[in-house]
Amino acid sequence: MVVTVKLSKVTKTFKKGKRNVEVLKGVDLVVERGACMGVLGPSGTGKTTLMRIIAGLEVPSSGEVYFDDKLVSTSNRIIVPPENRNIGMVFQSWALYPNMKAYDNIAFAVKNKGEETRKKIEEIAELLDILHALDRYPRELSGGQQQRVALARALAKDPSILVLDEPFSNLDARIRDSARALVKKVQKEFGVTALVVSHDPADIFSVADVAGVLLDGIFAQVGSPLELYDSPVSASVARLVGEINELDGVVEGGKLRVLRGVVERRDCQDGNVKVGIRPEDLRVSETEVQGMISLGKVRVKVSSYTGSSFRLVVSPLEEEKVELYVNSDRPMPINSEAVLLAKPEKIKVFKNN
Amino acid sequence: MSEFGPTVKAFLHQLILAIFVVIWLIPIYTMVINGLKSEFDVTSTPVFIPPLHPSLTAFAAVWSQLDVPLLNSVIVVIPVSLVATFIGAMAAYYFYLLSVSKRRSLNFMSNTIFSLIALATFMPYQAVIIPLTRIEANWGLLNTYGGAIFAFILFYIPTAALLMSMFMAVLPRDIIDAARIDGSGDLRTFFRIVVPLTIPGIISTLIFNVIEMWNNFFIPLVLFNVAKQTLIPVAVESFTGGYGTLYNESFAAAFLASIIPLLIFIFLGRYFIRGLVTLGTGGKGAV
Repeated sequence: MVVTVKLSKVTKTFKKGKRNVEVLKGVDLVVERGACMGVLGPSGTGKTTLMRIIAGLEVPSSGEVYFDDKLVSTSNRIIVPPENRNIGMVFQSWALYPNMKAYDNIAFAVKNKGEETRKKIEEIAELLDILHALDRYPRELSGGQQQRVALARALAKDPSILVLDEPFSNLDARIRDSARALVKKVQKEFGVTALVVSHDPADIFSVADVAGVLLDGIFAQVGSPLELYDSPVSASVARLVGEINELDGVVEGGKLRVLRGVVERRDCQDGNVKVGIRPEDLRVSETEVQGMISLGKVRVKVSSYTGSSFRLVVSPLEEEKVELYVNSDRPMPINSEAVLLAKPEKIKVFKNN
Repeated sequence: MSEFGPTVKAFLHQLILAIFVVIWLIPIYTMVINGLKSEFDVTSTPVFIPPLHPSLTAFAAVWSQLDVPLLNSVIVVIPVSLVATFIGAMAAYYFYLLSVSKRRSLNFMSNTIFSLIALATFMPYQAVIIPLTRIEANWGLLNTYGGAIFAFILFYIPTAALLMSMFMAVLPRDIIDAARIDGSGDLRTFFRIVVPLTIPGIISTLIFNVIEMWNNFFIPLVLFNVAKQTLIPVAVESFTGGYGTLYNESFAAAFLASIIPLLIFIFLGRYFIRGLVTLGTGGKGAV
């Protein structure tokens, strides 16, 4: 039975020597039945702790955890132990049992061992393309295969919720994308509620329907991955979700002044602000471009090739210390001068703190 | 580094190893060749020179007196070391579970019991042999297998638990968590995952226990007072008499007494070494 997972004001305090460290500071979270939620955050913000609390491996210091309407953990108490929560979990280290072949690893989680189970395991293995690896030991498998065995083990028992802890961080960059696609596919196919924890926004964008940014033990923002990318609530969220240029700006009478450019911003209060512009929302050009505003003249410092596009590092002529990343469809000579243009609607304004 | 080629270096390594092997083989060599000498030869010829006319007389004479103690030792030591190692491993896993638990009370309990066990391991058994003998005398356990088994179990379970705890400490936490999440109870996890992963540790502990118990002289000396019914170390010692020593028979007895630990070490020794390596590096030698 797939469940809805609900966390209410969950806190977690660890004792480190004489000091109390509050890792989670009142987390509220709902993962709807069948949805895939991504939790994004830098290391040390309590992502793993949050996941372990949901799995029942860690006790919340206060707050409640519900699976549907059933209370599974409450303040300092685990009501349903992890072995009875029917969770499918993929660990960052895969945590395959080294003494068992892949098949036995997968079957270990399944209660009844009949012919039906064998058929089911083979079906899952076929879907994950590890049929030929079933009679091998984990040490004989590649990283990608191990990850898929771990995923198969998590799925074989028809879990109520699938929890994935940094599931792609141990994979080669080359196969990471196909692994992400596969996880997304099986999650939808099995209709299982899923929680993916990662520090890499690419994981969240490719897998999650809804994502939350965990900062300092609290969700700074929850929304669709696109929302997080396009309308981040703070500079820290913006920085976590993707690369961004951060500049100082001033708002005066509904006008935002940044570098040499002026943009209409009626929604902002007067005063000093932080301005964020993603590299793909900037352009370097000799001429005016329709729909973009000029931020002044810049000098090209670095021009490099990254895969299919060019990446420039530019500095305003009068402010050599400020450096901005700009995506470009063509290389530019070093030290050449050009006009920096920005899409005005994509310029993000944050409170100065 | 540069002066020697790789062949010379390999040769030097092998040579040094060979020298150590020879040094370690000397006791066994002398036991065998001097056991094969006659009573006159053993005192009149140098100890490293093999006999001109080897004879099995000394071995035969010794065997007739050692057969029962040897059997006694096998009956007591092998099952007790198996049981002690098994219970010790279970205890060690329990400590592992307590130590990874976040509950402060359980942590405290783990530390307390663990300290007690360490204390029990390091306490010299000579210190408690008198009360132990009193208890065994009251229960009528002197001169019985039961008495020796009871004493050994008492002294060697803590040792096994302590040794196994070191091997358990390197168990990857994720794997144990994964087993819990997969709905496995503690007992199933222990048998299906912990035991297979700590096999080198279990075998090392087993060998250690067998050898320690096999060589234990003091406990059988006190708990048995009938010469023929005692365990092997006491029986071997009886060849060194108060009025004179039959050296050829002493050598033969010593050799017969060391055969079983030697065989165990030869067949299981590689696990012992692997176990030591695990302990030494803190790596996952079991995996």
